[in-house]
Amino acid sequence: MIRGANLVAPYVIENAIVYGSLFGLMAIGLTLTYLTTKVPNFAYGSFVSIGIYTSFTLYKVDRINPYFGTPIGFLIGGLSSVAMYLGILRVLARRGSSLVALMISTFAADIGFLGILQIYTDQLYYHYSRFDAKDFYPLGTDFSMFGLPGMFYVAPISLGLITAALYLLLTKTKFGVAMRASVENPGLARVLGIDVEKVYTVAWFLAGGFAALAGAFYPIWLPASVNEGSVIIVDIFASSVLGGLSSIYGAMVGGLIIGASEILVTAVGVDLIGSWVSLYQLGIPLIIMVITLLFFPQGIVSIKWRRLPRRLLSVNWRRFLPRFARRD
Amino acid sequence: MSVCLFCLFGIDIITFLTDLGVFFALYLIVSLSLNLEAGFAGVPNFGKVLFVAAGAAISGSVCGRLAAIILGINTLGDFTGQSARIMPQVNAILQNNIPLSFGLLLLGVLLALGIGAALGFLSSFPAIRLREDYLGMLLLGSAQLFQIFLGGTRDLVGGSAGIQVPDVFKWAEALGVRDLAVLGVVSGFAVLVYVYLERTARSPLGRTLRAVRDNEVASRALGKDDVAIRRKVIIVASAISAMAGALLTFYAGSVGSETWTRYEWTFWIWVMVIMGGAANNAGVALGSFSFLFLFKTLDIVKLHVQLPVDMNWIEYILFASILISVLIFRPGGILPERSSVTLPRATVVAIMGAKQGDGRRPKEQTASALQATPPDTERRDQSNSTTP
Repeated sequence: MIRGANLVAPYVIENAIVYGSLFGLMAIGLTLTYLTTKVPNFAYGSFVSIGIYTSFTLYKVDRINPYFGTPIGFLIGGLSSVAMYLGILRVLARRGSSLVALMISTFAADIGFLGILQIYTDQLYYHYSRFDAKDFYPLGTDFSMFGLPGMFYVAPISLGLITAALYLLLTKTKFGVAMRASVENPGLARVLGIDVEKVYTVAWFLAGGFAALAGAFYPIWLPASVNEGSVIIVDIFASSVLGGLSSIYGAMVGGLIIGASEILVTAVGVDLIGSWVSLYQLGIPLIIMVITLLFFPQGIVSIKWRRLPRRLLSVNWRRFLPRFARRD
Repeated sequence: MSVCLFCLFGIDIITFLTDLGVFFALYLIVSLSLNLEAGFAGVPNFGKVLFVAAGAAISGSVCGRLAAIILGINTLGDFTGQSARIMPQVNAILQNNIPLSFGLLLLGVLLALGIGAALGFLSSFPAIRLREDYLGMLLLGSAQLFQIFLGGTRDLVGGSAGIQVPDVFKWAEALGVRDLAVLGVVSGFAVLVYVYLERTARSPLGRTLRAVRDNEVASRALGKDDVAIRRKVIIVASAISAMAGALLTFYAGSVGSETWTRYEWTFWIWVMVIMGGAANNAGVALGSFSFLFLFKTLDIVKLHVQLPVDMNWIEYILFASILISVLIFRPGGILPERSSVTLPRATVVAIMGAKQGDGRRPKEQTASALQATPPDTERRDQSNSTTP
């Protein structure tokens, strides 16, 4: 076999696009919560898990096509997210808790959600005899169109539609303008009569919904387990950080880049180095995150692309060469 | 059922207490180190499990190999795969060789301190630059990656299957007092760590840490190098928590990539620190003890109570609720942080007594001066003023 042939294999490209689109969806939601409450939501992975198990339950127990179940997933994820915001974060924020205290509380909420999910999967296991409830293979129920799997169309199109809808919401509607105002300057927005907390609640509902939506698509394409949320939270953070944590469009791009590069880099690595590379797939988003934080902490949207070539040219590249190779 | 519970409790009380003691000592070490980072220096570490697991992995992996080499046991070139065969042979020799046992224990602890410090140094590069939220995400992710690294690198600790570790307490097992010996050694380390960190907290360095935490700009203006201070704190705290990992490995007798979870070695530690009282070492000790007492008691209850759901998951929800309730209703913890006293307490009391005896001072000023001193000084002060 020719080395590198794997890279252009159609399934690698499909995988990269679907994976990237799912992380784009998740990163948009995380960025929404970060924009409103300014706290990294460690429990965000749990909302993805909620979506995963909505799909799983609907398909395995009720035999409903998971695509039809995605609105239910969206609703449950959104409601859990709102419950967490109103029940924990708003209470703490009103008492003037520090950022660290808020972070700890989201961490605790994650553990709480994980406990609930574990109990739920136990019920599936014992009462519905779903013996793969804790750790399962892709559902394998995807439709096929023009010889390509349905997810290949559904995931990117959902991401595009949601980004477009958010763009319209934030720029064309009164509520969206109120939302932007509450994010930019909550105090001033309150003075203008905007119910900032209602706006934040809606933002949290949407965020949890997007996470659960991505989660509902997830098991159609990928294997999942009850701990899936705690594992992929790292990728979601990396996507949001790459997007700058302050821009929804940045988050979309960040998610696409993180997801796609994870698949592509691993595919290249497996081809060129060995199959053990795939074990360290999770290292890729972390490395991208570290590079982002070190070189452009404001995220990918902060890079001035037009000036970039000139700046790269103006760098004295020779100083990176070893001394004997320099000619000055 | 309650009678049954009592019986079991009555029979097993020694085992229960030693087990609780060992876990208390181990968790105390880690929670005190988190307290140094998050409580005193304001560096929230959400990747505590990384350092604990690193200490455990290095000590378990290196000490086992070294023992096999010293004692001339053939590893057939596959230490991790053969560890279940090698370790009983090693342990049989260690049983009668107390100096070698302690040598291995000490080596493991030193290695753990080294790797902890090295990892702490590495993680201090982002830690001193990033805000709390970015740092939390990065450390949480790094810990996750490290766990995957341990699982994937079979040569280190045998992946998820794990490896056996030389039992350096084998000599005590022959005498039937293994748990007590472990308790002695581990609590010795815990006391050392407690004394060291408590002295640090009370020293000028401790006050500097709080100053850097509370107002970076002001402390910088006073000539404190906040970056260097934070870096040192992270290195020291990581080394200490890695040491706890090494000790637990020797106690448990095995180590694998699944031994260390975010839940048990990051979340629990945070519950202990927040529940006990951040930036108060005595409070953290109390928090660790009450948490583990609750946990170990629930362990016993689990054996006797049949619930329709698994108690382990109920504990997840219970501990999460405890942490959130403490944050909401008592953010300072059981024993909140106390302001540090710079002069010896007797001097402070004498000064305050003199101030109160001095009738010319307006009352408001005395009151505000009183508030600035720690509460027990205030109490003593009042009793002084009422007695004459």
